[in-house]
Amino acid sequence: MHAFEALYDRHSSAIYALLLRILGNADDAQEVLQETFVKAWTNARSFDAVRGSEIAWLIAIARSRGIDRLRSRRIRSDRENDAGREESVRSTFVVHATGIEKAIESEERIAVRSALTALPEAQRHALELAYFEGLSQSEIAARLGEPLGTIKTRIQLGMKKLRERLQAFHP
Amino acid sequence: MTHEDFETIAALDAVGAATAEEAAELRRHLGECIPCRRAMQEYAEAATLLARDLDPVAPPAELRASVMDGVRSGGTGEGNNVTRMTWLAAAAAVLFAVVGLWQASNVRRLNDDNEHLLKERLMLRQQADTLSAELEALAAHDTRQIALTGQVIAPSASAKVFLEPSRKRAVVFFHNLPVNGQDKSYQLWLIRADQPKPVSAGVFDAGKNGRASISIENLPISTEIKGLAVTLEPRGGVQQPTNTDFIVSGNVS
Repeated sequence: MHAFEALYDRHSSAIYALLLRILGNADDAQEVLQETFVKAWTNARSFDAVRGSEIAWLIAIARSRGIDRLRSRRIRSDRENDAGREESVRSTFVVHATGIEKAIESEERIAVRSALTALPEAQRHALELAYFEGLSQSEIAARLGEPLGTIKTRIQLGMKKLRERLQAFHP
Repeated sequence: MTHEDFETIAALDAVGAATAEEAAELRRHLGECIPCRRAMQEYAEAATLLARDLDPVAPPAELRASVMDGVRSGGTGEGNNVTRMTWLAAAAAVLFAVVGLWQASNVRRLNDDNEHLLKERLMLRQQADTLSAELEALAAHDTRQIALTGQVIAPSASAKVFLEPSRKRAVVFFHNLPVNGQDKSYQLWLIRADQPKPVSAGVFDAGKNGRASISIENLPISTEIKGLAVTLEPRGGVQQPTNTDFIVSGNVS
């Protein structure tokens, strides 16, 4: 249990930031954060350090649950209400982000940031729409008013660059 | 479809942008192709960079206690999803009552069985992947064998490293390791000629029989690896070794 508490203390802020980014709503983000860690606990045996890092494993669980929640909310809710709530929550968590966590930005985070800033804006934007908003290729194409093939290529090129950068971090 | 085509789909799938057909085709292929599976894992890890770029935000302090309570009570902390599932199940039960309540219990039991089988299948697939990679490394024509010997605190421990330079990977088998406590993990370190500090090659636990094995991918074979060593570290591993009490170690000559 101590190990699990340590895991939570190490990564809950990163996972919460991800869920706020996906859901834009503190209540939903907290619920899904809780689900994420409970799932991590019950599926702890599925974690394999050789296949990926601890944080990547947690991020994968959180993103999957966050996107599921986002999609079910899209289906059942009227978007106008959500947009209003998202706006107020986003301004709240920007205030949090200026706190102590930002000051202890690790060497790895600097490397991550440089990998992402090296991506052309159009590629990064397409990746973010897929990753954080759960949009399909065709939904992204429709949102941006670009041909489907263009979007596909942007995502492929962006991911290839990120993969190369990742291999450079962990040669 | 070629491997290149599947790698392209893997890049899309890692951010959830592959179509349902592409994703299904990819899953089928990954079941039988280790290189593509490795590529998929790398793309999946690369996709997490998008999340790791976000500024961390501390969740409310009371949520920590709530998560721990959920875990202690056996996962009932699934929150509203569980509540929603319960409501859905209840609604389904009412529906099913028309044709007989017994069907609802059957469905529930089948769902439980299905989930259990799915978990088992995933676990077996992982084990099969590991065994397959280990066998490939052992059988390769250029595989080198390196012995690691037990040090002062575990003199009877030992390890054999099977290094496959052409695939940039190694498999390490450990014997007679003392069982690590629940709050500790063993961590394997590479000592590289081009870096002053050791580099982590993975974290593992020893079984009750003192055995363990670990596969290392993407070995930096273009630079000289001077040696390997194992230390006992806090659970989950650390960036740098916290002690020099090597359990096993050896030089790569």
